[in-house]
Amino acid sequence: MSTTGVNSDATQVGGTGAVMIELEGVDKFFGDFQALSNINLRVGVQEVVVVCGPSGSGKSTMIRCINRLEQHDRGRIVIDGTELSDDVRNIQAVRRETGMVFQSFNLFPHLTVIDNITLAPRQVRKLPRAEAEARAHELLERVKIPEQAEKYPGQLSGGQQQRVAIARALAMQPKVMLFDEPTSALDPEMIGEVLEAMRQLANDGMTMIVVTHEMGFAREVADRVLFMADGEVVEVGTAEHFFTDPREERTKLFLSQIL
Amino acid sequence: MSRLEPATAVGWARVNLFADRRDTVITFVTGALVVVLGFRLLRFVFVTGRWDIVRVNLGLYLYGRYPRDQLWRVVVAVIVVAFVGGALAGIIARRRDAAARAAGTPTDDRRLGTRLRDLAVRVWPLLLLVVVLLALTSTITPTLVALAMLAAVAVGRVLGAAWPRRVDVVFFVLPVLLPFVLLPFLTGPLGWDKWGGLMLTLLLAAVSMLASFPLGLLLALGRRSALPAIRTIAVGFIEFFRGVPLVVLVLMSDQALGFFFPQSMLPGKVVRAMVVFTIFTAAYVAEIVRGGLQSVPRGQGEAAQALGMAPWRVMGWIVLPQALRNVIPALVGQFISLFKDTTLVFVIGLLDPLTVADAVTKQRDFELSNFAESLIFAALLFWVGSYTMSRESQRLERRLGVGTR
Repeated sequence: MSTTGVNSDATQVGGTGAVMIELEGVDKFFGDFQALSNINLRVGVQEVVVVCGPSGSGKSTMIRCINRLEQHDRGRIVIDGTELSDDVRNIQAVRRETGMVFQSFNLFPHLTVIDNITLAPRQVRKLPRAEAEARAHELLERVKIPEQAEKYPGQLSGGQQQRVAIARALAMQPKVMLFDEPTSALDPEMIGEVLEAMRQLANDGMTMIVVTHEMGFAREVADRVLFMADGEVVEVGTAEHFFTDPREERTKLFLSQIL
Repeated sequence: MSRLEPATAVGWARVNLFADRRDTVITFVTGALVVVLGFRLLRFVFVTGRWDIVRVNLGLYLYGRYPRDQLWRVVVAVIVVAFVGGALAGIIARRRDAAARAAGTPTDDRRLGTRLRDLAVRVWPLLLLVVVLLALTSTITPTLVALAMLAAVAVGRVLGAAWPRRVDVVFFVLPVLLPFVLLPFLTGPLGWDKWGGLMLTLLLAAVSMLASFPLGLLLALGRRSALPAIRTIAVGFIEFFRGVPLVVLVLMSDQALGFFFPQSMLPGKVVRAMVVFTIFTAAYVAEIVRGGLQSVPRGQGEAAQALGMAPWRVMGWIVLPQALRNVIPALVGQFISLFKDTTLVFVIGLLDPLTVADAVTKQRDFELSNFAESLIFAALLFWVGSYTMSRESQRLERRLGVGTR
């Protein structure tokens, strides 16, 4: 099997070739409903994988399993050599290395922007306040909102909040970033600024899994695009092949609806 | 109806009070009622009311049978509390200014006169009570004590705002430690059961509030625990104590405990009452806090977890602060309720202000008359406390609402 064609094998890694994330035969049930069935996926170091698919297809559930916000029922999930098990220390080790950005931002409304960003580095990484704040200011600079540090999340626009959320995740210096529909809750004019921050992050060599319907972003940034439906990986391929030469009917239907 | 009128008193009255014939009639009828009732109330307070019953027994309302030769302890305690309160206010003001300067938002630059006026408006019910009390006393001592308290607050405020930041921590720990020093000091060689009047009310309410809050918090967390044993204990505790009338619990603290333990092992009535009020209130606090925990969106906890924070940090830093802010009104409502419910100690023979108000009318000088005056005074004591709590909670809500939504 070639890595350039479109097929349903998502275990051919891109990026540097070393494996950062590995899912093997992962199943997930909500009661009787099977949200994920037999997911096999490998993501390479510095690779950007975009996941798309209709709602209810298991995209969010999959990336939420990767940092244990959901618990998988069968199979193995290994992040940077650490397997997710019931061991709380393993879970927290994985979460420290895995940043997550949510659809609804989930900034802490009772803390200022700077406190939102520095809380976890100070509490979890035990960084001294001054160092944590210096780094937070750098990150705010990077997402282009250095002047908002002392404000509360409620005083910012949606696009600014999402960029703070990205800075907050980056402050833990993760090896992997997970994005769960980061632009779906934004007004159209604010989507660009968030995608720009993500694009920059990808260019800097971050390993990323991005659940999104922003196909322009996928085409430009993604090493591979993954199409999911009904809890299964239907098709996967490089961005170019994925958009021009999909094999499966479900993929074609989906693409015709969103493009 | 919504005609534009000039912004004058006459214009306002025409729109809001005399818009048509029906409005005019309603305005005159209500106005007449207000005037008549207001006149009668004022006449009662200043002319026909016989306030001697309060004047003569003022000490009983305020501190019951607390020995008069030990009252200096109360004076010392009150002045210490006033000083610590003032110092805390100073520290908070200084820190808020520093934070505002760091954020580049406007600092509090009111003049001293404006500050004092704002403070007076803020605590006007308390000032009213002080004026009433001083008007009812005939010696100079209470006035001197009141002045000393004011001075202690002022000195504390100035010092608290002036000293270096590293001293602050002492004063954040002090309010927690203070009760353990002041209460034994106040009780001195007398024992708790000499406490009475408003002092008893404040003691029961303050101790029960301080103790029921952490207990209620633990119960709320226990009720959400993943461990069935802890959850069962928490649910059982909450549902039992919410299901029993408070007055039954108060009576049982006095009557029924003797069946289980020898009298010599039991603490005095006041301590037992404290325990009852604490447990009862904690059960309600637990349910209020549980509601608050449910009001925090799940994404908040998830975002904190995703950053690698341990569960207890997620609770302490992210979920609980938001939950508690959401339940301030309900929590203060519960505490106001507790404050007034302490009057139930009359069933075990303790002398709270309400018991005093009833008992003094049976003195030979009054012979069951002046009951209205006596009750009104007792009601004033409770109203000032409840209304002050209510106003302060609203202030707190406004302050903590900063930057949300």
